[in-house]
Amino acid sequence: MRVIGLWLALLGVAGCSTTTTIDEYRSSDEQLQVASGDRVVLLGRRDAGHYETDAEFVECVGDKLRSSTLAVMPEQTFMDALYPWLEPRTAPKGLLRMRRLMQEPQVAKVIADQAIRYFVWLDGSTETLDKGGSISCAAGPGGAGCFGFAKWDKASIYEAIVWDLSDFTEVARVRVDSEGTSYLIGAVAPIPLLTPVKSDACKSLGKQLKALFVSDG
Amino acid sequence: MSKQMSPSRPLCWVFCALLLGGCGGMTRVQLESSFPTLLIEPRELRAAVIMSPEFSQYVATPNKNMTLEIGASQRSILEKTFGGLIDEVVFVDAAELIEQPQDIIIRPSVVEVQVAVPSENYLNVYEVWIKYNLAISDGDDNPIENWFMPVYGKTASAFMLQKDAAVGSATTIALRDIGAKLSLDFYRIPALQSYIDERRREAAR
Repeated sequence: MRVIGLWLALLGVAGCSTTTTIDEYRSSDEQLQVASGDRVVLLGRRDAGHYETDAEFVECVGDKLRSSTLAVMPEQTFMDALYPWLEPRTAPKGLLRMRRLMQEPQVAKVIADQAIRYFVWLDGSTETLDKGGSISCAAGPGGAGCFGFAKWDKASIYEAIVWDLSDFTEVARVRVDSEGTSYLIGAVAPIPLLTPVKSDACKSLGKQLKALFVSDG
Repeated sequence: MSKQMSPSRPLCWVFCALLLGGCGGMTRVQLESSFPTLLIEPRELRAAVIMSPEFSQYVATPNKNMTLEIGASQRSILEKTFGGLIDEVVFVDAAELIEQPQDIIIRPSVVEVQVAVPSENYLNVYEVWIKYNLAISDGDDNPIENWFMPVYGKTASAFMLQKDAAVGSATTIALRDIGAKLSLDFYRIPALQSYIDERRREAAR
Protein backbone atom coordinates (compact mmCIF):
# COMPACT_ATOMS: atom_id res chain seq x y z
CA MET A 1 0.00 0.00 0.00
CA ARG A 2 2.86 2.31 0.91
CA VAL A 3 4.51 1.59 -2.45
CA ILE A 4 1.33 2.53 -4.34
CA GLY A 5 1.04 5.70 -2.29
CA LEU A 6 4.62 6.63 -3.07
CA TRP A 7 4.08 5.85 -6.73
CA LEU A 8 0.98 8.06 -6.83
CA ALA A 9 2.78 10.87 -5.05
CA LEU A 10 5.65 10.64 -7.53
CA LEU A 11 3.23 10.74 -10.45
CA GLY A 12 1.44 13.66 -8.87
CA VAL A 13 4.61 15.64 -8.53
CA ALA A 14 6.34 14.65 -11.75
CA GLY A 15 3.37 14.00 -13.99
CA CYS A 16 0.98 16.83 -13.32
CA SER A 17 3.28 19.64 -14.33
CA THR A 18 3.19 21.64 -17.51
CA THR A 19 5.92 22.98 -19.74
CA THR A 20 5.08 26.49 -20.84
CA THR A 21 6.96 28.52 -23.42
CA ILE A 22 6.22 32.18 -24.08
CA ASP A 23 7.35 34.14 -27.12
CA GLU A 24 6.86 37.85 -27.17
CA TYR A 25 7.26 40.47 -29.83
CA ARG A 26 6.88 44.19 -29.21
CA SER A 27 7.12 47.01 -31.70
CA SER A 28 8.86 49.13 -29.07
CA ASP A 29 10.70 48.60 -25.79
CA GLU A 30 8.34 50.91 -23.96
CA GLN A 31 5.26 49.67 -22.13
CA LEU A 32 1.85 50.35 -23.65
CA GLN A 33 0.30 53.40 -22.03
CA VAL A 34 -3.33 53.17 -20.91
CA ALA A 35 -4.63 56.59 -19.93
CA SER A 36 -6.93 56.95 -16.95
CA GLY A 37 -10.44 55.96 -18.02
CA ASP A 38 -9.25 54.08 -21.11
CA ARG A 39 -9.98 50.39 -21.44
CA VAL A 40 -8.66 47.26 -23.08
CA VAL A 41 -10.91 44.65 -24.66
CA LEU A 42 -10.03 41.00 -25.24
CA LEU A 43 -11.69 39.26 -28.17
CA GLY A 44 -11.51 35.65 -29.31
CA ARG A 45 -10.85 34.79 -32.95
CA ARG A 46 -13.54 32.43 -34.18
CA ASP A 47 -13.04 32.21 -37.92
CA ALA A 48 -10.89 29.06 -38.04
CA GLY A 49 -12.65 26.00 -39.38
CA HIS A 50 -11.37 23.27 -37.11
CA TYR A 51 -11.19 24.93 -33.70
CA GLU A 52 -12.77 27.67 -31.66
CA THR A 53 -11.10 30.11 -29.27
CA ASP A 54 -13.42 29.50 -26.37
CA ALA A 55 -15.04 32.35 -24.49
CA GLU A 56 -14.06 30.76 -21.17
CA PHE A 57 -10.34 31.16 -22.01
CA VAL A 58 -10.85 34.77 -23.13
CA GLU A 59 -12.64 35.49 -19.85
CA CYS A 60 -9.86 33.79 -17.87
CA VAL A 61 -7.13 35.90 -19.51
CA GLY A 62 -9.28 39.00 -19.01
CA ASP A 63 -9.56 38.24 -15.29
CA LYS A 64 -5.77 37.87 -15.02
CA LEU A 65 -5.19 41.11 -16.90
CA ARG A 66 -7.78 43.17 -15.01
CA SER A 67 -6.47 45.16 -12.06
CA SER A 68 -7.41 48.18 -10.00
CA THR A 69 -5.64 50.40 -12.53
CA LEU A 70 -6.31 48.52 -15.77
CA ALA A 71 -9.93 48.24 -16.91
CA VAL A 72 -10.79 45.30 -19.18
CA MET A 73 -14.15 45.24 -20.91
CA PRO A 74 -15.97 41.87 -21.00
CA GLU A 75 -15.94 40.34 -24.47
CA GLN A 76 -19.65 39.59 -24.80
CA THR A 77 -20.69 43.08 -23.65
CA PHE A 78 -18.44 44.64 -26.27
CA MET A 79 -19.56 42.24 -29.01
CA ASP A 80 -23.19 43.13 -28.23
CA ALA A 81 -22.41 46.87 -28.27
CA LEU A 82 -20.83 46.53 -31.74
CA TYR A 83 -23.22 43.88 -33.08
CA PRO A 84 -22.93 42.59 -35.82
CA TRP A 85 -19.41 43.84 -36.58
CA LEU A 86 -17.44 41.46 -34.32
CA GLU A 87 -19.21 38.23 -35.24
CA PRO A 88 -17.09 35.42 -36.77
CA ARG A 89 -18.30 36.42 -40.25
CA THR A 90 -17.67 40.15 -39.89
CA ALA A 91 -14.81 40.64 -37.38
CA PRO A 92 -11.89 42.57 -38.94
CA LYS A 93 -8.96 40.24 -39.59
CA GLY A 94 -6.49 43.01 -40.33
CA LEU A 95 -5.82 46.62 -39.41
CA LEU A 96 -6.87 47.85 -42.84
CA ARG A 97 -10.34 46.43 -42.34
CA MET A 98 -10.42 47.76 -38.77
CA ARG A 99 -9.59 51.25 -40.01
CA ARG A 100 -12.41 51.00 -42.57
CA LEU A 101 -14.82 49.79 -39.87
CA MET A 102 -13.91 52.76 -37.70
CA GLN A 103 -14.93 55.05 -40.53
CA GLU A 104 -18.53 54.05 -39.78
CA PRO A 105 -19.66 56.88 -37.48
CA GLN A 106 -21.78 54.56 -35.28
CA VAL A 107 -18.90 52.14 -34.74
CA ALA A 108 -16.43 54.94 -33.98
CA LYS A 109 -18.90 56.44 -31.51
CA VAL A 110 -19.34 53.19 -29.56
CA ILE A 111 -15.57 52.67 -29.36
CA ALA A 112 -15.08 56.29 -28.25
CA ASP A 113 -17.95 56.10 -25.71
CA GLN A 114 -16.55 52.88 -24.26
CA ALA A 115 -13.05 54.43 -24.17
CA ILE A 116 -11.45 51.42 -25.85
CA ARG A 117 -7.78 52.06 -26.60
CA TYR A 118 -6.46 48.54 -27.25
CA PHE A 119 -7.92 45.43 -28.88
CA VAL A 120 -6.30 42.16 -27.79
CA TRP A 121 -7.19 39.33 -30.18
CA LEU A 122 -6.79 35.86 -28.73
CA ASP A 123 -6.48 32.95 -31.13
CA GLY A 124 -5.85 29.31 -30.30
CA SER A 125 -7.17 26.18 -28.67
CA THR A 126 -6.38 23.31 -26.35
CA GLU A 127 -6.05 19.95 -28.07
CA THR A 128 -5.44 16.39 -26.95
CA LEU A 129 -2.31 15.27 -28.81
CA ASP A 130 -1.80 11.69 -27.77
CA LYS A 131 -3.59 9.06 -25.71
CA GLY A 132 -2.22 5.86 -24.27
CA GLY A 133 -3.01 3.00 -21.92
CA SER A 134 -6.40 1.59 -21.19
CA ILE A 135 -8.80 1.58 -18.31
CA SER A 136 -11.91 -0.51 -18.00
CA CYS A 137 -14.76 -0.12 -15.60
CA ALA A 138 -17.36 -2.70 -14.69
CA ALA A 139 -20.48 -2.51 -12.61
CA GLY A 140 -22.69 -5.22 -11.23
CA PRO A 141 -25.29 -5.62 -8.49
CA GLY A 142 -22.54 -6.41 -5.97
CA GLY A 143 -20.29 -3.45 -6.74
CA ALA A 144 -18.31 -1.57 -9.33
CA GLY A 145 -14.74 -0.69 -10.04
CA CYS A 146 -12.19 0.49 -12.56
CA PHE A 147 -8.85 -1.11 -13.36
CA GLY A 148 -6.03 0.01 -15.59
CA PHE A 149 -4.05 3.07 -16.44
CA ALA A 150 -4.59 5.76 -19.06
CA LYS A 151 -2.67 8.88 -19.97
CA TRP A 152 -3.13 11.68 -22.43
CA ASP A 153 -1.04 14.64 -23.56
CA LYS A 154 -2.62 18.04 -23.99
CA ALA A 155 -1.29 21.18 -25.60
CA SER A 156 -2.62 24.71 -25.33
CA ILE A 157 -1.36 27.04 -28.03
CA TYR A 158 -2.66 30.59 -27.99
CA GLU A 159 -1.52 33.83 -29.54
CA ALA A 160 -2.48 37.32 -28.44
CA ILE A 161 -2.20 40.18 -30.90
CA VAL A 162 -2.51 43.71 -29.54
CA TRP A 163 -3.87 46.53 -31.73
CA ASP A 164 -3.55 50.16 -30.73
CA LEU A 165 -6.70 51.88 -31.97
CA SER A 166 -5.22 55.38 -31.63
CA ASP A 167 -3.05 54.88 -34.72
CA PHE A 168 -4.19 51.46 -36.03
CA THR A 169 -0.92 49.66 -35.44
CA GLU A 170 -0.03 46.22 -34.15
CA VAL A 171 2.00 46.91 -31.03
CA ALA A 172 2.63 43.47 -29.56
CA ARG A 173 2.28 39.74 -30.13
CA VAL A 174 2.51 37.14 -27.36
CA ARG A 175 2.42 33.41 -28.00
CA VAL A 176 2.03 30.84 -25.27
CA ASP A 177 2.66 27.16 -25.78
CA SER A 178 1.79 24.93 -22.82
CA GLU A 179 2.04 21.13 -22.74
CA GLY A 180 1.40 18.49 -20.12
CA THR A 181 0.33 14.92 -19.47
CA SER A 182 -2.65 13.82 -17.39
CA TYR A 183 -3.19 10.37 -15.89
CA LEU A 184 -6.13 8.27 -14.85
CA ILE A 185 -5.41 5.36 -12.56
CA GLY A 186 -8.03 2.72 -12.04
CA ALA A 187 -7.52 1.19 -8.59
CA VAL A 188 -11.15 0.21 -7.90
CA ALA A 189 -12.03 3.91 -7.83
CA PRO A 190 -10.72 5.96 -10.77
CA ILE A 191 -8.03 8.38 -9.58
CA PRO A 192 -7.52 11.31 -11.95
CA LEU A 193 -4.24 13.21 -11.93
CA LEU A 194 -5.07 16.10 -14.20
CA THR A 195 -2.56 18.59 -15.51
CA PRO A 196 -4.07 22.07 -15.81
CA VAL A 197 -2.59 22.84 -19.24
CA LYS A 198 -5.21 25.38 -20.27
CA SER A 199 -5.24 27.05 -16.89
CA ASP A 200 -1.43 27.39 -16.99
CA ALA A 201 -1.61 28.85 -20.50
CA CYS A 202 -4.19 31.37 -19.24
CA LYS A 203 -2.09 32.35 -16.22
CA SER A 204 1.11 32.72 -18.25
CA LEU A 205 -0.55 34.69 -21.04
CA GLY A 206 -2.40 36.92 -18.57
CA LYS A 207 0.80 37.64 -16.66
CA GLN A 208 2.76 38.42 -19.82
CA LEU A 209 0.03 40.69 -21.19
CA LYS A 210 -0.23 42.48 -17.85
CA ALA A 211 3.48 43.28 -18.07
CA LEU A 212 2.89 44.94 -21.45
CA PHE A 213 0.54 47.61 -20.16
CA VAL A 214 1.17 50.50 -17.85
CA SER A 215 -1.75 52.53 -16.60
CA ASP A 216 -1.79 56.23 -15.75
CA GLY A 217 -4.73 55.71 -13.43
CA MET B 1 -29.51 -9.33 11.44
CA SER B 2 -28.34 -6.11 9.96
CA LYS B 3 -27.58 -5.91 6.28
CA GLN B 4 -24.49 -3.94 5.44
CA MET B 5 -24.32 -2.18 2.07
CA SER B 6 -21.17 -2.76 0.07
CA PRO B 7 -19.12 0.47 -0.10
CA SER B 8 -18.85 0.08 -3.86
CA ARG B 9 -22.63 -0.02 -4.34
CA PRO B 10 -23.09 3.77 -4.54
CA LEU B 11 -20.30 3.77 -7.16
CA CYS B 12 -22.27 1.16 -9.09
CA TRP B 13 -25.34 3.42 -9.17
CA VAL B 14 -23.21 6.34 -10.38
CA PHE B 15 -21.83 4.19 -13.22
CA CYS B 16 -25.28 2.93 -14.17
CA ALA B 17 -26.64 6.50 -14.20
CA LEU B 18 -23.68 7.66 -16.29
CA LEU B 19 -24.19 4.82 -18.75
CA LEU B 20 -27.89 5.52 -19.12
CA GLY B 21 -27.47 9.29 -19.29
CA GLY B 22 -24.33 9.42 -21.38
CA CYS B 23 -25.03 6.89 -24.11
CA GLY B 24 -27.88 8.44 -26.02
CA GLY B 25 -31.08 10.03 -24.88
CA MET B 26 -32.84 13.00 -26.40
CA THR B 27 -31.13 16.35 -26.80
CA ARG B 28 -33.72 19.06 -26.44
CA VAL B 29 -32.58 22.63 -26.87
CA GLN B 30 -34.92 25.44 -25.89
CA LEU B 31 -33.53 28.82 -26.83
CA GLU B 32 -34.50 31.91 -24.92
CA SER B 33 -31.83 34.12 -26.40
CA SER B 34 -32.11 37.87 -26.49
CA PHE B 35 -30.25 39.60 -29.26
CA PRO B 36 -28.63 43.03 -29.40
CA THR B 37 -29.77 45.85 -31.65
CA LEU B 38 -27.88 46.21 -34.91
CA LEU B 39 -25.34 49.00 -35.14
CA ILE B 40 -26.24 49.97 -38.67
CA GLU B 41 -27.90 52.85 -40.51
CA PRO B 42 -31.30 51.76 -41.89
CA ARG B 43 -32.03 52.45 -45.55
CA GLU B 44 -35.08 54.23 -46.82
CA LEU B 45 -37.48 51.44 -47.74
CA ARG B 46 -40.93 50.21 -46.69
CA ALA B 47 -41.15 46.51 -46.06
CA ALA B 48 -43.43 43.91 -44.54
CA VAL B 49 -41.91 40.76 -43.13
CA ILE B 50 -44.35 37.86 -42.92
CA MET B 51 -43.44 35.36 -40.24
CA SER B 52 -46.13 32.72 -40.04
CA PRO B 53 -47.02 31.11 -36.69
CA GLU B 54 -45.34 27.96 -38.06
CA PHE B 55 -42.08 29.91 -38.51
CA SER B 56 -42.37 31.65 -35.13
CA GLN B 57 -42.89 28.33 -33.34
CA TYR B 58 -40.51 26.31 -35.47
CA VAL B 59 -38.97 23.23 -33.91
CA ALA B 60 -36.09 21.71 -35.87
CA THR B 61 -35.35 18.00 -35.72
CA PRO B 62 -31.90 17.64 -37.30
CA ASN B 63 -31.89 13.98 -36.30
CA LYS B 64 -34.17 11.57 -34.46
CA ASN B 65 -32.51 12.24 -31.11
CA MET B 66 -32.45 16.02 -31.21
CA THR B 67 -34.94 18.87 -31.21
CA LEU B 68 -34.10 22.56 -31.40
CA GLU B 69 -36.86 24.99 -30.46
CA ILE B 70 -35.65 27.99 -32.43
CA GLY B 71 -38.94 29.58 -33.55
CA ALA B 72 -39.18 32.45 -31.04
CA SER B 73 -35.46 33.22 -31.22
CA GLN B 74 -35.31 33.29 -35.02
CA ARG B 75 -38.32 35.62 -35.07
CA SER B 76 -36.64 37.84 -32.49
CA ILE B 77 -33.32 38.14 -34.38
CA LEU B 78 -35.08 38.73 -37.71
CA GLU B 79 -37.16 41.51 -36.14
CA LYS B 80 -33.99 43.11 -34.77
CA THR B 81 -32.14 42.67 -38.06
CA PHE B 82 -34.78 43.96 -40.47
CA GLY B 83 -35.60 46.70 -37.96
CA GLY B 84 -31.96 47.78 -38.23
CA LEU B 85 -31.66 47.43 -42.01
CA ILE B 86 -34.96 48.93 -43.15
CA ASP B 87 -36.35 52.35 -42.33
CA GLU B 88 -40.06 51.41 -42.16
CA VAL B 89 -40.78 47.77 -41.48
CA VAL B 90 -43.79 45.89 -40.17
CA PHE B 91 -43.89 42.31 -38.94
CA VAL B 92 -47.07 40.33 -39.50
CA ASP B 93 -48.20 36.74 -39.22
CA ALA B 94 -49.99 36.64 -42.60
CA ALA B 95 -50.13 38.63 -45.86
CA GLU B 96 -53.77 39.64 -45.18
CA LEU B 97 -52.62 41.63 -42.16
CA ILE B 98 -50.50 44.05 -44.21
CA GLU B 99 -52.36 47.36 -44.06
CA GLN B 100 -50.14 49.90 -45.81
CA PRO B 101 -48.65 49.67 -49.32
CA GLN B 102 -45.10 48.33 -49.15
CA ASP B 103 -42.03 48.43 -51.39
CA ILE B 104 -41.14 44.83 -50.66
CA ILE B 105 -42.58 41.82 -48.86
CA ILE B 106 -40.25 39.26 -47.28
CA ARG B 107 -41.23 35.73 -46.28
CA PRO B 108 -38.50 33.88 -44.38
CA SER B 109 -38.65 30.12 -44.03
CA VAL B 110 -36.34 27.40 -42.74
CA VAL B 111 -35.09 25.04 -45.43
CA GLU B 112 -32.79 22.80 -43.42
CA VAL B 113 -31.08 22.49 -40.04
CA GLN B 114 -27.94 20.40 -39.52
CA VAL B 115 -26.00 19.70 -36.35
CA ALA B 116 -22.57 18.07 -36.00
CA VAL B 117 -21.17 16.93 -32.67
CA PRO B 118 -17.53 16.00 -31.85
CA SER B 119 -18.21 12.27 -32.26
CA GLU B 120 -19.32 12.94 -35.85
CA ASN B 121 -16.97 15.66 -37.06
CA TYR B 122 -13.88 14.44 -35.13
CA LEU B 123 -13.24 18.00 -34.00
CA ASN B 124 -13.54 19.56 -30.57
CA VAL B 125 -16.49 21.64 -31.69
CA TYR B 126 -20.27 21.46 -31.88
CA GLU B 127 -21.57 22.93 -35.14
CA VAL B 128 -25.00 24.14 -36.27
CA TRP B 129 -26.02 25.13 -39.79
CA ILE B 130 -29.40 26.65 -40.57
CA LYS B 131 -30.40 27.28 -44.16
CA TYR B 132 -33.09 29.93 -44.62
CA ASN B 133 -34.97 31.00 -47.70
CA LEU B 134 -36.06 34.60 -48.01
CA ALA B 135 -38.84 34.85 -50.57
CA ILE B 136 -38.76 38.52 -51.58
CA SER B 137 -41.58 40.02 -53.60
CA ASP B 138 -42.63 43.51 -54.62
CA GLY B 139 -45.51 45.48 -53.06
CA ASP B 140 -48.01 43.66 -55.32
CA ASP B 141 -46.56 40.31 -54.25
CA ASN B 142 -44.84 39.60 -57.57
CA PRO B 143 -41.69 37.55 -56.89
CA ILE B 144 -38.34 39.36 -57.01
CA GLU B 145 -36.01 36.71 -55.65
CA ASN B 146 -35.80 33.51 -53.64
CA TRP B 147 -32.60 34.06 -51.70
CA PHE B 148 -31.02 31.24 -49.77
CA MET B 149 -29.18 32.28 -46.66
CA PRO B 150 -27.04 29.74 -44.79
CA VAL B 151 -25.95 30.70 -41.28
CA TYR B 152 -23.44 28.89 -39.11
CA GLY B 153 -22.43 28.68 -35.48
CA LYS B 154 -19.96 26.60 -33.56
CA THR B 155 -18.86 26.26 -29.98
CA ALA B 156 -15.84 24.59 -28.44
CA SER B 157 -16.52 21.41 -26.52
CA ALA B 158 -15.39 21.73 -22.92
CA PHE B 159 -14.76 19.06 -20.34
CA MET B 160 -18.09 17.85 -18.94
CA LEU B 161 -20.02 20.49 -20.91
CA GLN B 162 -23.51 19.16 -21.48
CA LYS B 163 -24.43 18.42 -25.06
CA ASP B 164 -27.67 20.44 -24.75
CA ALA B 165 -25.77 23.50 -23.55
CA ALA B 166 -23.10 23.17 -26.26
CA VAL B 167 -25.64 22.74 -29.09
CA GLY B 168 -27.70 25.60 -27.62
CA SER B 169 -24.66 27.88 -27.61
CA ALA B 170 -23.77 26.95 -31.22
CA THR B 171 -27.39 27.59 -32.26
CA THR B 172 -27.37 31.03 -30.63
CA ILE B 173 -24.16 31.87 -32.52
CA ALA B 174 -25.79 30.63 -35.76
CA LEU B 175 -28.81 32.87 -35.10
CA ARG B 176 -26.53 35.85 -34.40
CA ASP B 177 -24.95 35.09 -37.78
CA ILE B 178 -28.30 36.07 -39.37
CA GLY B 179 -27.63 39.69 -38.36
CA ALA B 180 -24.06 39.53 -39.70
CA LYS B 181 -25.03 37.84 -42.97
CA LEU B 182 -27.94 40.17 -43.72
CA SER B 183 -25.95 43.29 -42.77
CA LEU B 184 -23.31 42.34 -45.32
CA ASP B 185 -25.42 40.88 -48.10
CA PHE B 186 -29.07 41.93 -47.98
CA TYR B 187 -28.67 45.05 -50.15
CA ARG B 188 -26.24 43.19 -52.40
CA ILE B 189 -28.84 40.66 -53.59
CA PRO B 190 -28.64 41.49 -57.33
CA ALA B 191 -32.39 41.23 -58.07
CA LEU B 192 -33.31 43.28 -55.00
CA GLN B 193 -30.66 45.88 -55.76
CA SER B 194 -31.98 46.25 -59.35
CA TYR B 195 -35.55 46.52 -58.08
CA ILE B 196 -34.69 49.21 -55.52
CA ASP B 197 -32.62 51.17 -58.08
CA GLU B 198 -35.49 50.96 -60.58
CA ARG B 199 -37.97 52.26 -57.99
CA ARG B 200 -35.65 55.15 -57.16
CA ARG B 201 -35.31 56.05 -60.81
CA GLU B 202 -39.10 55.96 -61.20
CA ALA B 203 -39.57 58.13 -58.13
CA ALA B 204 -37.01 60.64 -59.45
CA ARG B 205 -38.84 61.03 -62.78
